[in-house]
Amino acid sequence: MTKSLVTASKLCVERGNRRVLDNISFTINKGDIFALLGGNGAGKSTTLLTFLGFVKPSSGEAIINGIKVEEDIQAARGQIAYLPESANLYAHLSAYENIEYFLSLAQISRSSQEISLSLDDVKLAPKMRIEPLSSYSKGMRQKVAIALAMLRRSPLLLLDEPTSGLDPVAIDEFNTILKALADAGTTIFMVTHDVYGACEIAKRVGLLQQGKMASVFEAVGETKISAEAVHQAFRQSQPS
Amino acid sequence: MNFRIAYIIARDEWRYWLRSRLSVAALVAASILIVAALISTITQVQTERTTRENFQAEAINTFESQPARHPHRMIHYGHYVFRTPAPLSVIDLGVDAAAGTVMFLEGHRQNSAVFTPNYSSANAGQLAELSPAFAYQVLTPLLLIILGFASISRERESATETLLYSISVAPLELWMGKIIALSGAALMSLLPLSLGLGLAISAGEHAGVAAYMLSGYALYLLTWVFIITAVSSSCQASSTALTLLLAGWIFFCIVISPVASGIASTGGAYEGKVVSDIAVQQALRGSGDGHNEADPAFDQFKMQLLQQYNVESIESLPINIRGMISKNAEEKQTQILNRFSDRRMEAARTQSRIVYWFGLLSPALALKNFSMNVAGTSLSEYQRFQHQAENVRFDFVQRLNNLHAEQLSYSDDINRSKDHQSEQRTRISPVHWKMLQPVAHHEDNEQERVSESLPHFIMLFFWCVFGAIWSVTRATRGAANAA
Repeated sequence: MTKSLVTASKLCVERGNRRVLDNISFTINKGDIFALLGGNGAGKSTTLLTFLGFVKPSSGEAIINGIKVEEDIQAARGQIAYLPESANLYAHLSAYENIEYFLSLAQISRSSQEISLSLDDVKLAPKMRIEPLSSYSKGMRQKVAIALAMLRRSPLLLLDEPTSGLDPVAIDEFNTILKALADAGTTIFMVTHDVYGACEIAKRVGLLQQGKMASVFEAVGETKISAEAVHQAFRQSQPS
Repeated sequence: MNFRIAYIIARDEWRYWLRSRLSVAALVAASILIVAALISTITQVQTERTTRENFQAEAINTFESQPARHPHRMIHYGHYVFRTPAPLSVIDLGVDAAAGTVMFLEGHRQNSAVFTPNYSSANAGQLAELSPAFAYQVLTPLLLIILGFASISRERESATETLLYSISVAPLELWMGKIIALSGAALMSLLPLSLGLGLAISAGEHAGVAAYMLSGYALYLLTWVFIITAVSSSCQASSTALTLLLAGWIFFCIVISPVASGIASTGGAYEGKVVSDIAVQQALRGSGDGHNEADPAFDQFKMQLLQQYNVESIESLPINIRGMISKNAEEKQTQILNRFSDRRMEAARTQSRIVYWFGLLSPALALKNFSMNVAGTSLSEYQRFQHQAENVRFDFVQRLNNLHAEQLSYSDDINRSKDHQSEQRTRISPVHWKMLQPVAHHEDNEQERVSESLPHFIMLFFWCVFGAIWSVTRATRGAANAA
């Protein structure tokens, strides 16, 4: 029996007089990939930030693995590996040094062999691993960030626009890694503009419109979500 | 708060600096500058100390080796006292460059301190007197700004701040990490100061006073560490943080000091030397001529003496009336001179007090005032030198007047220009010339220096507390900005 890892229950967020999230509810099962789509200002990033505890809901609840975020932010964050949209990491450090640094701050101990294996998994060229990230492309930096998330072994991976700025090859590589992670049991919650990429890998796709969950699409069996259907709904959801 | 996490962040900050060309260049340049300032000031102070001590010894020797003379001629022969540099002037030259270093002491006058002839010959202006105090007060904050302006804003710009918080690093741990890193740099910059203080201790300074001075500088740099992290926490962009910090540095370190001096000069203005000298001369005119026992100004004094010794005429007195008149005149004139001198000093102190309050607007000025007072290179110390020099002057003049009154007969004195033998008898033995009192050393007034610097230290302490509160407040608020 699958159990939900992430629950948004009647979540409302207000900024000033504006309601950014309006009574949205959804669940994400363990090992699923859930993609949240929407236009600019629809509330996608706010939803992520609410689960991270950076944004306080005015009502409703954000729950991760049974932990109410608002009640115990640190415990909830302990369940999450987060990749912000511009995950530059530290440009002065190499891939190894970045990973070691973040793991030491998270007080997680991993051997250098485990770090190398993780970088192998994300297919980062060995000769690049000791170079500072200032010489990396965005796709390579994303790989390092994913390797870090894998090493943290967090049950939930939150991704904010992970493929923006990546070339098609890098997007394919990235999606392959995400699918492998999900197959290994990691729950992935991503917000993105990339309708086709989301439909390619997600088990479920939610469409946000002006802070409201306009519709949710679900893949059935081996059949992927129809990108055309989502795209059409996305277009219809945009204000004319 | 988990200090291990803060330490890891601090270690990475150092790693960042060591891999940044700008930071390394700033660290190297600042180190060279501070060490150069220290070496040049030590050399300058030691040269000055040796020169002035040699001059002082020579002046005493010259006075004491004068041949047999009339004591009043010795009063006008006079004596020089030199202001020797305080041991801590290797750190802070203070008013040394602006205040005179040597004073000619003679009867009936209070001369101003002037400069030794070789003092200014190699002085090329303000930069030629780049002291460690200047380096720490003005340049080290600039180094800290270069190192730390982006400490937190950089994390925000690269979105690593949210990444850190998402792995349960608390905003206060991030803040503390940056504080530890920047404080470490500040602490390292204090190493040359510690060397200078060690040298001052070996030159006779009290270790406690040296440690007190070090703590003042440490408080100042810590204040800057707090200010820098507060601004860096408040800004979304590092460029904004740098602009604000540079504006603050210009205000605190460059602008406030001359503005304070200007306002103090206006607010506590006192008459210049010419006006003051005219007023002194007018006041002295009524006090009588001590060289002329017939001056009516001394009639009452003469009557007192005659009554005291129960004689009818001044010729019958067992003492020389001329010496007594001279002594009495010196006492009256000195009272008048001291009155004017005290007025000038009080006006100067009023100006200092105005500048003191400006320390509330600038930690750099608070440190400057603190440093000069502890070092013994402040206006107060200069005024102490003036007081001591005046005491030396009054003491040897009155001793000579006593010799005049007690060792010389009145008849020889009045006939010395007419009769050679009388003239010879009015010359007293040079053995009497060994009478000069030394000027007290700086090392002997540490209590005064500490007590005078304490208000400035308290001001620095409050600056530091204010900086800490501001910084920690901004750091925790900054966490909201991270999202």
